[in-house]
Amino acid sequence: MRHFLVMTLFAALAAFVFGGMSKDTPREQVFYGLKVFAEFIAIGLVLGWILYFIP
Amino acid sequence: MVKVEKAIELKEPTPGMAWATGAAAWLVPGVGHLIIKRPIRAALMGGSVWICFFIGLAMGGHMFDLSTGQGSGAILQVPPMIANLGSGVLYIVCWVMGIGFADDPVQAARATYEYGNTFLLIAGLLNYLTMLDAFDIAAGRKS
Repeated sequence: MRHFLVMTLFAALAAFVFGGMSKDTPREQVFYGLKVFAEFIAIGLVLGWILYFIP
Repeated sequence: MVKVEKAIELKEPTPGMAWATGAAAWLVPGVGHLIIKRPIRAALMGGSVWICFFIGLAMGGHMFDLSTGQGSGAILQVPPMIANLGSGVLYIVCWVMGIGFADDPVQAARATYEYGNTFLLIAGLLNYLTMLDAFDIAAGRKS
């Protein structure tokens, strides 16, 4: 569980910066930040499960 | 006609204020956006860098300089050192005070050691992005 929390924290911090610098309006920034956050989490989980089956 | 206008725009020199803002943004994360009066961006983007850095330190992360620890060559220390240097004054203060640079086996054995390393590297890289954002806004290339 700690690993997931650390990954979530990392995704949130990176999403703040990516969202803030990539778009112009606050609405676009929020949506892009959320998208980046979701992508970090989803890709992390997918990679985690792929590596779980690799000895 | 449009191409000519673009060419003229590109020839305009970057204002000195933009370079100063970029330098300040690198040195102290978040200050660049404060200079150009974007306090919310400063809090979110600069705050992310500060939080990332201190969490990395709290996890027992290790920062890199040119000293050759653990048998590796100095050249291998350069890429992560560049990433760590992005944290600006945070890196410099830690380097001067010797915090986070020791090759301590006990510290390296901590479960969060690699996480700490990653957070410290990412803090520097995020600050490079924050610095470029502040520079672009100060130079008028971005709203």
